[in-house]
Amino acid sequence: MSTPAREALDRHATPWLFATALATTAPHFMHQPPWLSAVAGALLLWAVWLWWKDQRLPGRWILIPLVGAGSAGILFEFHTLFGRDAGVAMLVMFMNMKLLELKSQRDATVVVTLGYFLLLTHYLYSQSIPTGLWLLATMWLVTATLIRLHGGPSSRPRDTLRHAGLLCLQAIPFMLVLFLLFPRISGPLWGLPSDAFTGKTGLSDSMSPGSIAQLVQNGDIAFRVRFDGALPPRQKLYWRGPVMEQFDGTTWHQYKGRQPAAQLESLSPPIGYESTLEAHNQRWLLALDAPVALPPEAALSGTLTAINSKPVHERQRFRLTSSLDYRFNPSEDPLVLRRNLALPANRNPQSRALAAQWRAANAPEAIIAKALALFAADFTYTLQPPLLGVHGIDDFLFQTKRGFCEHYAAAFVVLMRGAGIPARVVGGYQGGEFNPLDGYLVVRQSDAHAWAEVWLDGQGWRRVDPTAAVSPNRIETGIADALAFGEPLPMLIQIRADWIRTLRYRWEAINNAWNQSVLGYDPQRQREFLARLGLPDADWRSLTIALGSACGLLVAGLMGWALYKQPQRDPVVRLWHQALRHLARRKVDCAPWETPLDLARRVREQRPELAEAFQRVVDAYLVARYGNTDKHLKTLRDAVARLRQ
Amino acid sequence: MMFKSTLSGLAGRPRAFDGVLEQAGRIILGKDHEIRLAIACLLANGHLLIEDLPGMGKTTLAHTLARLLGLHFSRIQFTSDLLPADITGVSIFERDKSEFRFLPGPVFAQLVLADEINRATPKTQSALLEAMEEGQVTAEGQTRMLPTPFFVIATQNPAHQIGTFPLPESQLDRFLMRLELGYPDRAAERALLAAGGQRRRVEELTPLLAPDELPALQLEASNIHAAGPLIDYVQALVEATRQNPAFQHGLSPRAGLALLAAARAWAWLAGRDMVLPDDVQAVLPAVARHRLRSAQGGGYALAEDIAALIRSVAIP
Amino acid sequence: MGIVATLKQKLFRWQSDGTAPLRLGQRRIFIVPSRGGLLYALALIVMLIGAINYNLALGHALVFLLAGLGVVGMIHTFRNLHGLIVTPGRSGPVFAGETAHFELMLDNDRPTPRLGLELEAESGNPVFATVNRKKSSKLNIPVSSKSRGWLTLPRVRLSTRYPLGLYTAWAYLQPAMRCLVYPQPIAAPLPDSSPTPLGGERSGDGGQEDFAGFRDRQPADSPRHVAWKASARNAGEGPLLIKQFAGGAQVELMLDWQLTDAALSDETRIGILTGWVLAADAADAHYGLRLPGIDIPTGSGERHRQLCLEALALCQP
Repeated sequence: MSTPAREALDRHATPWLFATALATTAPHFMHQPPWLSAVAGALLLWAVWLWWKDQRLPGRWILIPLVGAGSAGILFEFHTLFGRDAGVAMLVMFMNMKLLELKSQRDATVVVTLGYFLLLTHYLYSQSIPTGLWLLATMWLVTATLIRLHGGPSSRPRDTLRHAGLLCLQAIPFMLVLFLLFPRISGPLWGLPSDAFTGKTGLSDSMSPGSIAQLVQNGDIAFRVRFDGALPPRQKLYWRGPVMEQFDGTTWHQYKGRQPAAQLESLSPPIGYESTLEAHNQRWLLALDAPVALPPEAALSGTLTAINSKPVHERQRFRLTSSLDYRFNPSEDPLVLRRNLALPANRNPQSRALAAQWRAANAPEAIIAKALALFAADFTYTLQPPLLGVHGIDDFLFQTKRGFCEHYAAAFVVLMRGAGIPARVVGGYQGGEFNPLDGYLVVRQSDAHAWAEVWLDGQGWRRVDPTAAVSPNRIETGIADALAFGEPLPMLIQIRADWIRTLRYRWEAINNAWNQSVLGYDPQRQREFLARLGLPDADWRSLTIALGSACGLLVAGLMGWALYKQPQRDPVVRLWHQALRHLARRKVDCAPWETPLDLARRVREQRPELAEAFQRVVDAYLVARYGNTDKHLKTLRDAVARLRQ
Repeated sequence: MMFKSTLSGLAGRPRAFDGVLEQAGRIILGKDHEIRLAIACLLANGHLLIEDLPGMGKTTLAHTLARLLGLHFSRIQFTSDLLPADITGVSIFERDKSEFRFLPGPVFAQLVLADEINRATPKTQSALLEAMEEGQVTAEGQTRMLPTPFFVIATQNPAHQIGTFPLPESQLDRFLMRLELGYPDRAAERALLAAGGQRRRVEELTPLLAPDELPALQLEASNIHAAGPLIDYVQALVEATRQNPAFQHGLSPRAGLALLAAARAWAWLAGRDMVLPDDVQAVLPAVARHRLRSAQGGGYALAEDIAALIRSVAIP
Repeated sequence: MGIVATLKQKLFRWQSDGTAPLRLGQRRIFIVPSRGGLLYALALIVMLIGAINYNLALGHALVFLLAGLGVVGMIHTFRNLHGLIVTPGRSGPVFAGETAHFELMLDNDRPTPRLGLELEAESGNPVFATVNRKKSSKLNIPVSSKSRGWLTLPRVRLSTRYPLGLYTAWAYLQPAMRCLVYPQPIAAPLPDSSPTPLGGERSGDGGQEDFAGFRDRQPADSPRHVAWKASARNAGEGPLLIKQFAGGAQVELMLDWQLTDAALSDETRIGILTGWVLAADAADAHYGLRLPGIDIPTGSGERHRQLCLEALALCQP
């Protein structure tokens, strides 16, 4: 097949395309199945090898089966060819396969366009600052590839990269304007594929020994909170998540059936705050215990958990109000109470025996105190508890005596139920880290916690945190202080050197600012921004006008740059051009070949009133430019000034 | 090209040549620009080729200039049987002294008028042209210097006349300028008719310069300041001839030097101490036309092509 | 001519005399998205939909950055042509059927190179060019010549897609350039030198001059010129001999229009004459040319050949 000369691909442009393919697909290797990465890498290496040896590219009879085999593999892996992961895998494979088909300029254009497209797919997995920067660099490379394709063999790599950098830099103002002013639509436009939101960490709706301990080892941020007023005391910061009432002996579950509506009485002034929740793919909002006012799309469940209408699939902001002191369901439905007294019959006989013994002799308050005193006596708070057997609670209470918050909460609730006090496990987060740099309280997965809630007649549900009895530090200063050194906590929160902490605060503040103002720039933020610009209640029409005029200004600026000519350095010539411009305004144009004396003669004919002044300019100019001295600048300046009067 | 006097009050200098111009203008009527070019040519120490039909005043012009500048003048009428020795001179044997004596030919003069140079054979032509180039004559093994200053004003009838040997291109380059006198305008022609011819009035002219004065003035003219932008302009013009499709080939570097020298002389004549683009434009047709070959027909470059050339180059 | 073509002609009318160097100004430059640009726009739309659907803030930013890149690319494409100085050069004569080359000079007075320029006078025959920073480059634009006479350079399309290939910017140039096309030579044996009306000038074997001796016969010599008697003396041992005469050093030929077959078409006759001129020149002969209304006296050499070919190229029989 012969391609015409202008379409044939220059051999020395090909390495640019390899670099483009590598840079745009490589980050996907981190999260796609290894066999896919291996195939993509092999394809790339094959293409490079063929190029290096200057060998013929494989024909269609090889490529078509390859595409078929790759698609089959992806279909087998993901059970679909569409959707996020499968789609990205297809793109990655297609990109590397296209390298085996690089014959014409058009193939190269396809590779570059695909490269730009692949850039977008990375944001499906991460939108952090480093990703943004990496992709900016990749975009620079892809653009340079495009330039190299059209610049021909005579362009040097350095020039190509510089030109690409210039183009990208000049494009950035457009990006800013469009980002701020382009009418935003909140997605999704249609149902997203089911795999759109995998891989998010957070609390789950069940709890078994070790589940929270595992979560705690994750340093990711769960949510950030900014209080309207002062930061409430740390030991009161209980962020309420799922409430687990059903126990099968090992695992605690949420009750899925209907709950009667909660009756909440606020006993302290409400605290307003804004919470920015990271995606956790659950519906609970992790409000500060206990929420009294919720955003319209959320509702309060019967167990006092703020429940959103949709799962939180992406970082979202909520405006909430809570009361730290409250009274909750002082008169509870007997069905609920019965549920919160149930224990599996054939499990944990020792614990139940101990509870029954307590129940006979004591009032509820005293039973609680006894239980807490038991924990405080010789229990150890650790992330690495020994394994427990079938009678987990018995093993924990009477043998190992080492455990994490879920062990304490579970054991406490079992004891309470055994002693006839309705009790349940509440999951959530406790505490958080205040970043003095931006005033946000950061709550991480490592702050995940479980505590207990008991129902006392006349008082309603009351929070009891058995962990506080074992390790008061956990509640007062945070988990890093509560655990002994060497526990598998995230490095980030374990290191307590001040300067590292300051650095971390700074980094998190930057990240937060990035999340709040860049990633969180939604239609509402856009409205706020426009209102600040003096465009309240901006509709799409005024947005379009603002966008159009801003882009127009930018284009005009760029055009000015494109048409800009270096100013004359020689002051003599500059003055002469001033005089010529003055003449041109009076309809006397000077042809480029016309000598000053000829022009002066013409001025005498066409504009006798200017002739004398212009003659003086001409004389001074000729002497200054063509004469043997360089001291006539002032004469010329004066003459030009007089002409322009 | 219009004649350009000094419009401006630029640095004036004693105008030694004003008299020459004025007196010559009274003999050759209505040809002030050509006279000025001819004088500029002599001032720039270059040879002049005047090309026109017979009877247009070529010889009169040459004669007038010789008289006014006080130069020793001789005239050679070229014919087809003229031999090189008729120009350079011959050695004759003197019996009484028993030795050869060199009789210098008409070329040993300060201003030689080579009339109708294209009538002679190429061999004879080249004898004169060699003398022009070298400033010396080699005859019978002996080299003899020509006087200084040494000018040749050659006249030539247009090439399409029968029985002529047009000067080859390589020889044309030796003439700094080439002029065409052309017909006089109405008023000049009437004055000419009324006066009954000008030739005899030439004899009445008195020299305005002492014989040794001219070299000093030539030196002065060659020292006129040419600023950087002006050199740029000359270079741009020369470069443009090499590009311009109207010509078969461009000007040589020697032609560029000639152009600048002529422009200097022109500026000096105008009483200025610097060269202006005007000066370059004024002398360009006379300097360049015979050195260029028109792409159409192969003759000299057309005047309008030179004008277009000037229009194609911006003045720096 | 269709409406589109007429409109095009009006839109892109040239208004300069075409001899001077031309600096491309913004009014002369046209720009439209290329096919690659449309593909790019389509990709951007798809990406925008994706970014909205998955609510990717950075996806939005990327799409907007790429959109900005598209706008910037347009201006850079425009700038790649803007301010370029085009100076017409010369062109050498060619024979009909050959490709004429018109020289154009591109000057770049900017401190950045201009790459990916494409000049096209005839469609499908483009010339690629780059002009380095503050440099100029000379190009030869090929135009195939069809018939003798003056070939004027057709409108030249100077276009570029650099840097991003998303747009095509172009300008039409019409430098006043023409190239002389000589007639296509038709190979034919040279006419016999004897029957020319100017017979008195003949030389060589004419017989008026002094006999100068013999020479060996070359295969090209006509049998009529063989000195049979002298050759007979060698009794067939040596080659045949040809009588030589002193005086006229060379053959003088007058290539006359009348010598060609009047039954042939004018163009064929001109072609035959052209072939003769070339043959005579190759044989180093003294030759002249006589065409209706044109009479070129005998001569030889490069300039003479040129003169004859010029006359043939422009002759109107």
